[in-house]
Amino acid sequence: MLQQNIRDFGMYIALLVIVIVFAVATKGVFISPRNISNLINQTGYIAVLAVGMTLVIIIRHIDLSVGFLAGFLGAMAAIALVFWKLPVFVVIPLILGFGILAGLLNGFLVAQMRIPAFVATLAGWLGYRGALQLATVKTGTIIIPNEAFNAIGNGFIPDIPLPGILPGVHKATLLIGFIILAAYVSGAIRDRQKTRAYDFKVPPLNIFVTRLVCTAAVIFLLTWILAGYRGLSWTAVVILIIFLLYHFITTQTVLGRHIYAVGGNPEAAQLSGISVKKITYVVFASMGMLSALSGMLFASRLRSATTQAGTLFELDAIAAAFVGGVSASGGVGKVSGSIIGALVMASLTNGMNLLGVDISYQYIVRAAVLASAVIFDVATRNRTV
Amino acid sequence: MMEKRPVVEMRNIKKNFGGVQALRGVDLVLYKNEVLGLVGDNAAGKSTLMKVLSGAYIPDEGEIFIEGNRVELASPMHARQLGIEMVYQDLALADNLDVAANVFLGRELCRRKIGPLSILDKHAMEQETTRLLDRLKIDIPSVRANVEKLSGGQRQAIAIARATAFNTRVTIMDEPTAALSVAASRKVLDLVRELKAQGNSIIIISHRLEDIYQVSDRLIVLRQGRKVCECPVVGGLDEFREQVLAYIIGARDDFAGGGQEGS
Ligand SMILES: Nc1ncnc2c1ncn2[C@@H]1O[C@H](COP(=O)(O)OP(=O)(O)OP(=O)(O)O)[C@@H](O)[C@H]1O
Ligand SMILES: [Mg+2]
Repeated sequence: MLQQNIRDFGMYIALLVIVIVFAVATKGVFISPRNISNLINQTGYIAVLAVGMTLVIIIRHIDLSVGFLAGFLGAMAAIALVFWKLPVFVVIPLILGFGILAGLLNGFLVAQMRIPAFVATLAGWLGYRGALQLATVKTGTIIIPNEAFNAIGNGFIPDIPLPGILPGVHKATLLIGFIILAAYVSGAIRDRQKTRAYDFKVPPLNIFVTRLVCTAAVIFLLTWILAGYRGLSWTAVVILIIFLLYHFITTQTVLGRHIYAVGGNPEAAQLSGISVKKITYVVFASMGMLSALSGMLFASRLRSATTQAGTLFELDAIAAAFVGGVSASGGVGKVSGSIIGALVMASLTNGMNLLGVDISYQYIVRAAVLASAVIFDVATRNRTV
Repeated sequence: MMEKRPVVEMRNIKKNFGGVQALRGVDLVLYKNEVLGLVGDNAAGKSTLMKVLSGAYIPDEGEIFIEGNRVELASPMHARQLGIEMVYQDLALADNLDVAANVFLGRELCRRKIGPLSILDKHAMEQETTRLLDRLKIDIPSVRANVEKLSGGQRQAIAIARATAFNTRVTIMDEPTAALSVAASRKVLDLVRELKAQGNSIIIISHRLEDIYQVSDRLIVLRQGRKVCECPVVGGLDEFREQVLAYIIGARDDFAGGGQEGS
């Protein structure tokens, strides 16, 4: 029981510690509404990768190619917008489609050719890095002048025009925040009641209430801070949609069940009639699509495609997944955890940048966090068995 | 006794692995509502024969009939569709999933479909699992428990329950008691008896002759890829053990010179 809780709460504790340390060290700048809003936008491109990586690690693989794939596809988006002059609503699905193709290629190498994912995607890491440099070779950085595209990484959702009511507060954000809050609380209570009605054990009331209140408080606080600033950013909306979609798939659908089964025992899954190959393809394709999304979020945020875009994203995504409770031995992990993990990684970068920490030390700190997350995983796992 | 209907009939099954002749022309008949014991020394070909029946291996030669119809088993899935279920020697459960999820693995119940996504009906699966485990008198704390947290005996019971859950014609158990304590073994054997009482047809592989003696109606002994004995389980345990051992070690052979080698 305690162990379960340590595994589940480890990342929240990590996040809390990081927030407090940086808040103190930066004399409050870190938790200013402006920085929080910023932080969420910085989390976006890591979070979507981490969600995809979660599934990849659950089925016992790894994808090292996602960083430069994201960088390359971000550059492709810029090229499509700037040189091919395609409209945004064409570019986004097009690039997502490219991402899926790239993912299917990895899936082919891993599932069909039986190349270890580590090697197959390392080739991708190198290949996409080259492709990114080729794409940006003539022009160097490609400036993206498209406002609609740049809004994804920088813009905020429009407010409800209600003159006189709550001036200075972003009412649309407030409304969305309260809808999420209400949905979360009622969902949690209904779930508990249903579980009890079917005679299953539920966690003790005090633990349930504590968890409910803490989560609700965080949602409320975040809503309040964002509504008091410029509202919900489009990036936050993207994270939310990806979270809801993948949370739904992993917890409620046959596909999700099969992904976990393949991760837990591939032989058993195969013998049960689950196609391990198909699941591998689907998971890598989803990873490719999310890499494309990540690349576009990043390019949009910088309003340009750069030669260095995507560098070390894969490390942050993998670290985010491990910090978020994904197990290195496969079969275990949650989408929600990985998004929190992404927040941890983004907070580290953001906080260290605010403090002006030298980039070389930043790499070392991020590596240390990745290592500790895996050590934590192994240590807490071994004791359960 | 009159109408002993065969559920499964395997004729002259041969299987080579490179140079190894794992099966050299084995015949096997399983009748309805019968427990058939399959014994033999290590590497005698027991698992191979059962993997042929469960579609995991394609035989080099031989025919298989299910309730009188000739079938070519192409895959475990195909065999499963025909009602042949195998409980594997190395447990085929996903440790990270709960009991209900394991019982329904690969045949999940769905509420509805949204595009390509089928929505799980978790409640129905949990209820069905509870009912199944109750019917087989299997004692599990909760169908929501991860199987990782269960004992070896409980896990084996779930693997067996899962194999018998869905209109199964034949359940094959490959050493279901091999990794279990005496007490846990007894429970699994009770489960086998319960399954027979409920009308199942079962093939059970074991090295523990007492186990076979306790639950089987009939016995087949394999030796070096050949059937050397086929007989009903009768008489006292000691006599039974002595006889069967003689076949296992090759001191006796009822089918010697039967011409299995040549053709
Ligand atoms: N997949 C395989 N590839 C190569 N050889 C195999 C394979 N499966 C079985 N064999 C060989 O076939 C022979 C029969 O093996 P099998 O596993 O059927 O024996 P068994 O009777 O189940 O033995 P045990 O009691 O040890 O489980 C052995 O010599 C084994 O090495
Ligand atoms: Mg065997």
